Amino acid sequence: MRKLLAVVLLCLILSAVAVAQEPVQGGTFRFALTTNPRGMFNPILYTEQYDSYIIDLVYDGLIYIDEQLQPQPRLAKGWEISEDGLSITFFLHERVKFHDGVEVTAEDVEFTYKTMLHPEYTGVRYGSFKLLVGAEEYHNGERDDVPGIEVIDDYTIKFTITEPYAPLVTQFGYGVLPKHLLGDIPVGELEQAEFNRHPIGAGPFKFVEFMTDQHVILQANDDYFLGRPNIDQVVFQRVAFDALPIYIRQQRVDYAEISPDNYAEVSGIPGVDLYIYEELSYNYICFNLRQPRFADPVVRQAITYGFDRETYVEVLREGFGIVANAPIPMASWAFTSEGINEYPYNPELAAQMLADAGWKPGAGGILEKDDMRLEFEFLVPEGSRVTEQMALLFQQNMADIGIKVNLVFMEFSAAVDRVDAREFDTFTMGWSLTVDPDPHGIWHSTSPWNDPGFYHDRSDELIEMGRRETDPEKRKEIYAEWQRIINYELPTMFLSYGVTVAAVNERVQGINTEPGPLGPLGGLQRLSQIWIQD
Amino acid sequence: MWRYIVRRVFVQGIPVLLGFTFLLYLVITIAPGSPVTHLRGVPNIDEETIARREAQLGLNDSFPVQYAKWLGRVLKGDLGLSFDSSRRPVADLIMERMPATILLSLCSIILAWVIGIPVGILSARYQYSALDYAVTFFAFVGISIPSFFFGLLLLYVFALKLDVLPAGGFFMAGEARTFLGYVKYLLLPSITLGLSDIAGIARYMRSSLLEVLGHDFLRTARAKGLGENIVVYKHALRNALLPILTLMGFTIPFIFSGAVIVENIFAWPGLGSLAIQAVSERNYPVIMGINLMFAVLIFIGNLIADISYAVADPRIRYE
Repeated sequence: MRKLLAVVLLCLILSAVAVAQEPVQGGTFRFALTTNPRGMFNPILYTEQYDSYIIDLVYDGLIYIDEQLQPQPRLAKGWEISEDGLSITFFLHERVKFHDGVEVTAEDVEFTYKTMLHPEYTGVRYGSFKLLVGAEEYHNGERDDVPGIEVIDDYTIKFTITEPYAPLVTQFGYGVLPKHLLGDIPVGELEQAEFNRHPIGAGPFKFVEFMTDQHVILQANDDYFLGRPNIDQVVFQRVAFDALPIYIRQQRVDYAEISPDNYAEVSGIPGVDLYIYEELSYNYICFNLRQPRFADPVVRQAITYGFDRETYVEVLREGFGIVANAPIPMASWAFTSEGINEYPYNPELAAQMLADAGWKPGAGGILEKDDMRLEFEFLVPEGSRVTEQMALLFQQNMADIGIKVNLVFMEFSAAVDRVDAREFDTFTMGWSLTVDPDPHGIWHSTSPWNDPGFYHDRSDELIEMGRRETDPEKRKEIYAEWQRIINYELPTMFLSYGVTVAAVNERVQGINTEPGPLGPLGGLQRLSQIWIQD
Repeated sequence: MWRYIVRRVFVQGIPVLLGFTFLLYLVITIAPGSPVTHLRGVPNIDEETIARREAQLGLNDSFPVQYAKWLGRVLKGDLGLSFDSSRRPVADLIMERMPATILLSLCSIILAWVIGIPVGILSARYQYSALDYAVTFFAFVGISIPSFFFGLLLLYVFALKLDVLPAGGFFMAGEARTFLGYVKYLLLPSITLGLSDIAGIARYMRSSLLEVLGHDFLRTARAKGLGENIVVYKHALRNALLPILTLMGFTIPFIFSGAVIVENIFAWPGLGSLAIQAVSERNYPVIMGINLMFAVLIFIGNLIADISYAVADPRIRYE
């Protein structure tokens, strides 16, 4: 009897395995959100990440970003870049329909991008497209057309820019808006349109319902041009942050991104797998280079040698993170470790470097040189236990090498005020990065976010070269040299590259079990292919 | 009575509300941090876009101008547009969430009264008994325990360990809205929110009743040969309830401010998370709208308490 049972069980298991290969139709995929979307489901007007989840599923763009962070065709069958790198032509799929049955054409694409350039446009994405020919004049109301956007026929559209810009293709992922529904609304009033709360796109899922602070429901698009998704429904379920581990344990949600702080609580739950993956982000301690005491790179290097970042990552972050030494994360194709100094913790070396540079202990044993003194404020945004512990560790480590750090804890928004006003000695924050490694936005000396006040001719030159270079291999070399400069200069001390933990119920099949920076769902791209195996 | 109400509203209420909104607007605008701070995270954003946004939100005006514009709109019945990316009317944002907050607050108030008053009476009736000591002990625990901690404790026990109640939220997508469902989702948050009031009301009821029980007229009642039950429940109770009615007026603001925290723990779809988000993002119109509304509700609550005071005590007349 027992043997028979074993055989039956074995058969059951085998059949389960066999079935698992074959996608199953139907079922609901439940995605946990700890913050509710705002209800601005418009790809050119939203700013919150939670809104983008819905947007990514309801709309399709000309391209999408794959799990290797490369642009791939979506609504466009393909594209062509001109010899001089100044224009890009997209060829659209034919007979693709919006959820209301109207066909997607180049007119809709033109409408979507031209709206972002309009003088009355209320969103924040003009900066990404001002390189288009005529964009600035159009934006300033000096002309009525944008020569840089050219509809060639119903299924062909050409964009032309004024100077070569390598990340150009990756900018065309914005969901295409239906012109026939929005074209008559004055651009300045678009943000008030009812459409934004009941979006219609051409994506794999149709919008069904948004209940404020409760949930968003999407439904499979039966007529999706790449084939109907396997699952019937996607539900974004709002869950209280503190209750998230309970929801995961009770299997009331299928997918949740959790903070590494909660890792212990959710590990070992039967039926739930955890995936740890690198994000495109890093955190740092920024020096104010406008102050003479931080002007010498040796001081910044010595401080970096003097801070035990390994302990920070391994103990305080419990291993969730990777010690960072330059501003391009490991997950990016442009990352390099060649010629990068890792600044391993070495307080003796740090002290020696400072002594060699002429810093001598003064009052209270604090290092001094001329009229400069290594006693400074360290601005720390409140809210993260790990960050606060990091600040304490930094303070201790610095005391060991004769540097006095005064901690100033401050609410985030208030801290940003101080940073923007350049009223800081040092502060800690983090950056989330775009898919393209172009560092112009943060690191070019003209950038408004050049918080450290870093002015370096070669760095600027390389950043500009990197933007112009369209050959990926050459671009990689340019960024490698640039990373070595930043790694030597250390305008900010890099702490760690971020990682995320995703908890996924085992009933979800077809995910990436060795996730890259976009996670097990590949952004949300895989939702149109996954299936639910109960 | 009507003259009293009119005077309360126009002579006291409106000037107080005006002063309150003025001070609040002043405080939130001089507080550090800016409503456009979060735009830092948008890739490729330029300073010009941020400057345009600031102009669009009216942030370039001085404080008196900003406040005057806000007040002008409010007098016309318009609470303005939210500063966040959705740019929705503040009134809509509030109205969508108001029913949930009122439902939760009402439940916790009812819970506090239905439990607090009888417990207080019993505790006074059997003063210095084991029951009285137990009530006193739990009342102190109830008043002292922070609601976020108590809420987490309830979640841990009832949602995780016993798995009999949901871990917060308000109906899963697609779940039928039955009466039992409401009870299920309301139970933990309303107990958390009502706890300190249950304890407070029980303590007040106890001391109020004990005080009345010592009065001469009750000694007379007992001397006439009335049973102790009639003395307590008929003669003493009505007098003892009077101070409790004022307490009701006072607890309303605490219930609302408590709701902000409790709603966040339980992902309750009320005003709580909107309020907290608005503060951290410096969303001035939403902060102003929510606070104005709370101020009005509190004012009405106090007014009702005063009026019911007159109804309960024939000696009190407002002229």
